[in-house]
Amino acid sequence: MINILFFITDYLFVVKLRRVEREEQLWGLGQCGRKGETKKGRRMEGELVQQQQERLNQAVQQQLNLEQVKMRAISLFKAISRILEDFDAYARTNTTPKWQDILGQYSMVNLELFNIVDDIKKVSKPFLVYPKNVNADNATILPVMLSTKLLPEMETEDTSKRDQLLQGMQNLPIATQIDKLKARLDMIAGACEGAEKVLADTRKAYCFGTRQGPAIAPALDKGQAAKIQEQENLLRAAVNVGEGLRIPGDQRHITASLPMHLADVFTVNEGAQSFPEGSSNNAYMKNTPLSSNSMGGQNSLLQTSGSQLLGRSAASPNVATSATFDNTAASPIPYANSPRSSTNMMNTPSPQQQTSQQQQQQPTVQQQQRQKMMQLPQQQQQLLAQQQQFRQSAMQGLGQLHGQHQMQFSQQIGHQQFQGRQLTSGHVQHGIGQSQLNQGNQMTRISQFSGAANNALFSAAQTTPNTQMIPNISAGISSQSLLPRMQFGLSGNNPQRNHASQMLNDQMFSMGGGNPGGMMSIQQQQQQQQSSQGAFGGMASNAQNLQSGMMTLQNTQQNHPNFSQQRQQNQQ
Amino acid sequence: MQLQKKADMECVVQGIIETQHVEALEILLQGLCGVQRERLRIHEICLKNGPNLGLVASEVRLLCDLEQTEPSWTVRHIGGAMRGAGAEQISVLVRTMVESKVSKNVLRMFYTLGYKLDHELLRVGFSFQFNRGAQITVTVSSVNKMLKLHATDEAVPVTPGIQMVEVTAPASAENYTEVAAAVSSFCEYLAPLLHLSKPGVSTGVVPTAAAAAASLMSDGGGTTL
Repeated sequence: MINILFFITDYLFVVKLRRVEREEQLWGLGQCGRKGETKKGRRMEGELVQQQQERLNQAVQQQLNLEQVKMRAISLFKAISRILEDFDAYARTNTTPKWQDILGQYSMVNLELFNIVDDIKKVSKPFLVYPKNVNADNATILPVMLSTKLLPEMETEDTSKRDQLLQGMQNLPIATQIDKLKARLDMIAGACEGAEKVLADTRKAYCFGTRQGPAIAPALDKGQAAKIQEQENLLRAAVNVGEGLRIPGDQRHITASLPMHLADVFTVNEGAQSFPEGSSNNAYMKNTPLSSNSMGGQNSLLQTSGSQLLGRSAASPNVATSATFDNTAASPIPYANSPRSSTNMMNTPSPQQQTSQQQQQQPTVQQQQRQKMMQLPQQQQQLLAQQQQFRQSAMQGLGQLHGQHQMQFSQQIGHQQFQGRQLTSGHVQHGIGQSQLNQGNQMTRISQFSGAANNALFSAAQTTPNTQMIPNISAGISSQSLLPRMQFGLSGNNPQRNHASQMLNDQMFSMGGGNPGGMMSIQQQQQQQQSSQGAFGGMASNAQNLQSGMMTLQNTQQNHPNFSQQRQQNQQ
Repeated sequence: MQLQKKADMECVVQGIIETQHVEALEILLQGLCGVQRERLRIHEICLKNGPNLGLVASEVRLLCDLEQTEPSWTVRHIGGAMRGAGAEQISVLVRTMVESKVSKNVLRMFYTLGYKLDHELLRVGFSFQFNRGAQITVTVSSVNKMLKLHATDEAVPVTPGIQMVEVTAPASAENYTEVAAAVSSFCEYLAPLLHLSKPGVSTGVVPTAAAAAASLMSDGGGTTL
């Protein structure tokens, strides 16, 4: 079969399928001059007669599409040769061929061949072929290929089979012969059907795949076609434009588990929101780890507390544990006037993030604080506990706070030095223990470290006016231990202070209970203390610190050289 | 030494095929292309720039190949299609397309630039790449959407019963006619199973698809010439 096809294409190769004005006859075509020919055929015949030129009718030409047929034949040839090569390779290497693949390829080839021949059959009616390209190779085989008579061997075979078939029936009339043959055919057909049925049943029983495809399905009815059309439009729109694939904004939050290829790519929620919104805040939160140094002796406590207050303006007890938050570079907290610090203060994380952070952080904070508690002497522990509780309550308030804390700080402080500066909560931290420091000097130093950070914490301080929670102390504190100054029962020299501090004490203790009502009390204190603000100038910031939570205490573990010096000064 | 031609355009056609015939199509393609099929699993993220970024709306597609052990990212920008009388006569779509391999930070970078996620989809299927007059890539894939953001493991097909077939070939301004001809002649081979057309032009299914598929899937004993 394939040979026949190649044979045809060989001849077709000499065909020039163009509308040329040349005299040359295309394939030496003899137009079929039969009467029953189509109009086109007759027209062409007429043309031939008249002009001795050959122009294939355009439609036939297009349908025939000789170039395409040629290409298809060539590619088919290549495919078959490829299969043959594969077989060769199998034979040589003595490996078992993959029959599935081979059968697949064979069926492809089969289909293609069938299609080509079918196409040619459709258009071959007006044409007949006569050999033009005869050479030594073709000459012998040509008559055989062109003949319609059977080969001698085939002919004898045919007659013998016929005899066998009609053996007993030669004598009978034709009609009965026909009937008998029909009966035989029916029997055989019945037997075949039975066999096929058995095969199908067995296949199902053993779950073989049916290689026999289904019978040719009827053409799609309109309903089905409409459905398919609709599906197609959906699919094309989805691929090209993205229709039907867009998730509404409110559903665009990242699920807990990102696929692997995106896990390390993402840092915060993307989607409609701008990407880096909360990252800087988180950085601040994270980059100020809880100071976990062990508290030294009593003396060291105070010393370290002061130093820490100065040095760690943005110490944050919050440790962001959320995996989705980015580890940005360490925040430039020490630079109070750096743009980033101020910006960060203003950009609070969204309430969601804040609360989630806090929730995550509170347990860890508590843990760490507990650790420290163990190390502290008891008094200190008490104070710590109070402060921690306060802080936590303050932190809970954080979620609702936004923005403006710094401004309020600066306003409330009212100290000249603070005006115009953005006091951040960093100031607050400096609070405790710094009260003894010279207010003027201290102020400058403190403001240096105001830095940003801990916006969350400081936002709490915002609501609780900056006050004066200053527990401290200052010179009033007996030199015996700085610790007492942390405590509220100061017997300081400064009557004002005592007064204030006593007030504070009361407040503080009440707050120690960790009730949010404590916040209110602070406000009262503030009012009172503002009157004596001069003395408490330095303490103002401290008060803020206290409000924002006693992280100051935690920060006290850092050593700050100035502090000790100053303290000595004060005590002197 | 030949200068490398800058291939900044592509010729593309799309078609659909019913899912039940995909296996038959694979057999046909296997025979036509002569190469092994490659599995395909691509997470496609389409980003659009926000209103504050430039005057012209711009769209960028990030493709993450999930089939490899190490996901590889590609960025692709698809430009406008060729227009005009000449373009209408060509049966394939010719459009500008620029593609490049990128690192996995690409998504973050685009977000930083201000691009926003527009939509995403997941393609699962196979593809054949071969040379037949031009470097042609045939992709047969089911297009899946994700109900939750980036949840590629929970993707569902947009149209379960139909898969998308795409035939693309890179081209340049000088040779796009030849490439277009190569692509369209290759598409004729697929005629028994599906019709391919320019993206946006719908074709429907081919009536002979079932028969052709049956013939491809069978052991070939049925047809006689």
